[in-house]
Order: sequence, then structure tokens, then C-alpha cells
Amino acid sequence: MGSVHHEPAGEPTFEPMIQIDMEIKTFVSAWKHCDYVSTYMARMISQNRTDSVRHSNLFSSAFNELLEVAFRTRHADGELACRVSRHGATDRIELTIPCVPEERQFYQEAVSQVAGFEARERYLNSVSGDLAPSREVVLLELAVDYNATLRVEEAASDAIKLVVDLPLEGLQH
Amino acid sequence: MSPYNLLPRFKAQYDANNQEFSIAGVVRPQAIDELGPSLALLRDAIGRVRGVLYVNVRRLTQMNNAAFHAFSRIMIDACRARPDLKFVVITSSVVGWTSRKFGRLSGIEPNITVKQYDSEFYPGQGFLEEGGFVPILRTQTKMTWRHERTILPRHGMRPGIVMADICCGIGDFVVLVQKEFQPSRIVALDHSISSLDYARRVMREFDIRGIEYTYGDASEMLLDEAQFDLVTCRHSLQIFNRPELILKELYRICKPGGRVYITNEKNSHCLGEPRAESIRWTYNEVAKLFAHFEMDVELGPKSRRYLIEAGFEDIRVETFMVTNLDGDPQDFADVIVAWADVYAGDMATRRGDGPEFIARFRQGFQDHIFAALHPKGYAGWPIWVASGRRPQ
Repeated sequence: MGSVHHEPAGEPTFEPMIQIDMEIKTFVSAWKHCDYVSTYMARMISQNRTDSVRHSNLFSSAFNELLEVAFRTRHADGELACRVSRHGATDRIELTIPCVPEERQFYQEAVSQVAGFEARERYLNSVSGDLAPSREVVLLELAVDYNATLRVEEAASDAIKLVVDLPLEGLQH
Repeated sequence: MSPYNLLPRFKAQYDANNQEFSIAGVVRPQAIDELGPSLALLRDAIGRVRGVLYVNVRRLTQMNNAAFHAFSRIMIDACRARPDLKFVVITSSVVGWTSRKFGRLSGIEPNITVKQYDSEFYPGQGFLEEGGFVPILRTQTKMTWRHERTILPRHGMRPGIVMADICCGIGDFVVLVQKEFQPSRIVALDHSISSLDYARRVMREFDIRGIEYTYGDASEMLLDEAQFDLVTCRHSLQIFNRPELILKELYRICKPGGRVYITNEKNSHCLGEPRAESIRWTYNEVAKLFAHFEMDVELGPKSRRYLIEAGFEDIRVETFMVTNLDGDPQDFADVIVAWADVYAGDMATRRGDGPEFIARFRQGFQDHIFAALHPKGYAGWPIWVASGRRPQ
């Protein structure tokens, strides 16, 4: 894999838990791969959470959305890398997605908008709007419904790495 | 074959009697076309109802944004076209994301409200899960364990199995099971958050490992099908108003060839000497009192029928009697004191029983305690154990 994992200065150390790599061609050959991968990884990483079953359900729900975003990449080659690591109550998903330059720009813009204070309002507008949810809306929903924080990190030239922190332990009940 | 391919992923249906559209399972379509029949069903339901349409998503395990948007869109459009129409979306607290996600809809359309279902399913259980009842639950388990530890191996318990304890309460049974039989994995589920908090605290304090406590509704568990060698459900079917729904779920999560083990009481058969008549009268009344709150504490001998009707084979049934001679008679007496407090206290009061009835009712418990502590006395509490094998 071409990307290098690093923690920005002052960040806590996230302990790696599981990683799955797939050729993007293989991944996009069947939609159900999103469901399979999200469900499998959710089960694997939730075993030692306070409530493993509920955690697994929540994690799968959020992670599947990210994988469905990745599924729509327009880049025909390369590797999809899904890595999950943990620090305390937060699980971090690092999703390295092959993408074309326009998609790279899209992700950077979408993630910067997710961080905006009006994220919730924009999400509600999208739900009440006529259009099917865009990839940007999916990222917004992660922030609004799962309290996720998102950022984009450098990856190889034809890939983007989405880093999504999910504090799901705090969402229980 | 992957278990994903064994069952339809989701099911939508409309119940005209209850004006209820329900959708259950995993709804993760790639394209909205895949939802065509379900969306048409919802539109059709909207066209038929007056007043309120209930949208039941309690058993909706997963739904992606594409599907959520498609269903939401129809409801929002209907609200705008028909201001007379209200939607009540029924979610479950067990499925963590549904209340948050569907809850957003009420911020968009005031005619859409979201209600979390759970407590309605357990009409009387609140009596039994208040914090004060915990010590007595522990004592009860201690007394029944003396019998069950020798009974369980006849019903599929053995080292290394994967097991689930459904309606685990405060988790003391699974702790004893783990120490005695060392299953390779134990999942323990209950819908009482306070009981699970207690169970997790015990697990931390005693450094117990290998038990996964999980919050859930026994009638609609998030647990996958066919994954447990043994599923236990103790003293619980009798306090649900629809035990067949629980059994259906126990069957579902049990592996083919695995067993489901249930224990239940027949309260009217509690007995004691001396003062047998007073004791008998009171426990007959206990059964009637529970029936008033839609709980059947006479279920024990009906276990065989329930298991057969749920599709199990190789049904095994046996009984044991917890008595004052099992260990310390004071333990037995303590349990009866706790029963009297709840049954002749809160429950009888809520049923509207008068002071004369309550005094006589309470006397039977006192006589049972008298029998338990009497140097020549005998007091008993019978339990029915039953298990069935899920066919291969």
C-alpha cells in the first residue's frame, strides 16, 4: 500500500485493530461487499466493547455508509484499504480510496463542510429535499447522527484517505 | 453458503387493522428500484389510512441512507399533501441508530413523531427489576444453581460451547456457568439497563472475562441466527405476555442441532408444612395476580407444549424443588420476604386489592416463612426445566 500512517502532533495514539485491503476492481464488482465488509469488521472490533452487539450494529451502520461512498469511486485501479484503530471510546476508520483528481477535491470540500456549525441544518435540508442523498450528505449524516469527526489525509497520488473518528461508546442508549 | 444468502434481507408489510406499515431486516439497496414494491406498499398504505399511520421500524436492523431517504421522502410528501395525516414512527432503543436517524424527521415535519417502543412489551416486569430486588435475585440463583449445575449437562451444557443467556438479568447465572463449565463464549442479553450495569460492575470487580453483556429485546434480538450451541432463558417466558415470540427468537439464534433450555415455575405449587392451607391459598392467588398483569407464573408444566409448538424436537422436561433444606433455611425465608414485599405490596395495590385481601395474602407468605424456619418444617418452590433441540 502506498500510504503512510501518521498521527498529527499532539494526537493520542490509536492502536490498530484490523485492516482489510481489496483490489478496487474486486470491491466494486458487487454491491454486497459494502455490507459484508462493514458487518464483518464491525463484529471483529466490537467484541470487547461494553455492549458488543449494539456497538457492532452502530459501527456497521456508519461504516457501511463510508464503504458505499467508496464504492462509487470513478477510479478503475488501485487498492481499497480499510483500517480500524482504537483509542479509548473512539474507533477510527481510515479508508484509503483510489480516486481521480476531481474526486479528491470533492472529498476535501465535503469534509470541510461537515465540520461547519450548520452541518445539522444542511443535513435536514437534504433529507427534506427531492434529490437522492449525495456522497456529501452521507458524510454529513455521520457527523450529525454518529457524532463522527472527519478529515482527509494525504495518501498516494491517485488515492485519498478519509479518517473518521466514531465515539460510538458514548452513543449507547 | 454465506448466512447473508439464507434469508431475505428485509420485509415490508402493511397491517390494515392497526394502520401500521412495518419494515424489518437489513435494507441496503444499491439502487432505489430494488425497493420498488416496498415503496409502493407504503404509498398504498398512506392512500388507505385516515388519522395516523404507524411506521414500525423496531426490527429494522440496518438501513442505508439511500433507502432512508426514499422512505422519508414519501412520508414528508404525504405530510405536505395531507395535513390531516400524522405519522408515528416506532423505533426500538435496541437498535441504536434508528431513534436518532428517524428522530430527525420530526424536525422537518411536525406531523411525524417518533416513539421508542420497549417498555410496552414487558407490562409487568418493572415490578421485578427495581434495584432493591437484586439481592434476592442473587439468592434465588444461588438456590436454583445447586440443582441446575447437575441438570444442565443433560440439556446440552458442556465445556467449550458457544452459549447465550437471554433475559440474563443481573448476570449471576452466566458467571456461575462460566466458572463451572467454561463455555468458549457467552453472550448474555437483557433489556434492563440497570441490571446490565450491575452485571458489568460484577464482571469488572471480580475480573471475570468471556461474558459479553448486551442490551436487547428478547423478542427481536440483533443476534445473528444459528450461532449458539445452547440458548438458556430462565424464569423469563413466564413473565412475558407473549412467550411464543421469545421462543421463536430463541429458536432462530440456536444452531441446528443445538438446544434451547428454559426454566419456569408453577407458583400455585409452592408448598409448605405446617400451615399448608394458608400457603396454598396465597400461592393460588399469586398466580391470579400475575395473570392480571398478563404474566403466566403457571407456565412450568406448559413448557413441553410451548417447545413443541415452536418447532423443537427431542424435548426433555424435568422438575426440581428448591427447599428450605438446600443450604441455609434463612435464604429461603429471605426470598419469600422479598416476594411478599412485591406481590402483596406494589402489585396487589396496583391491582386495587383491599386491605382485608392483602392481609390474608400476606399471611400465606408469612406462613411459608414460618414453615421454612420451623425446626421440623418443610417449604418448597418447584421449578420446571425443559429443553428442546433445534432440528438439523
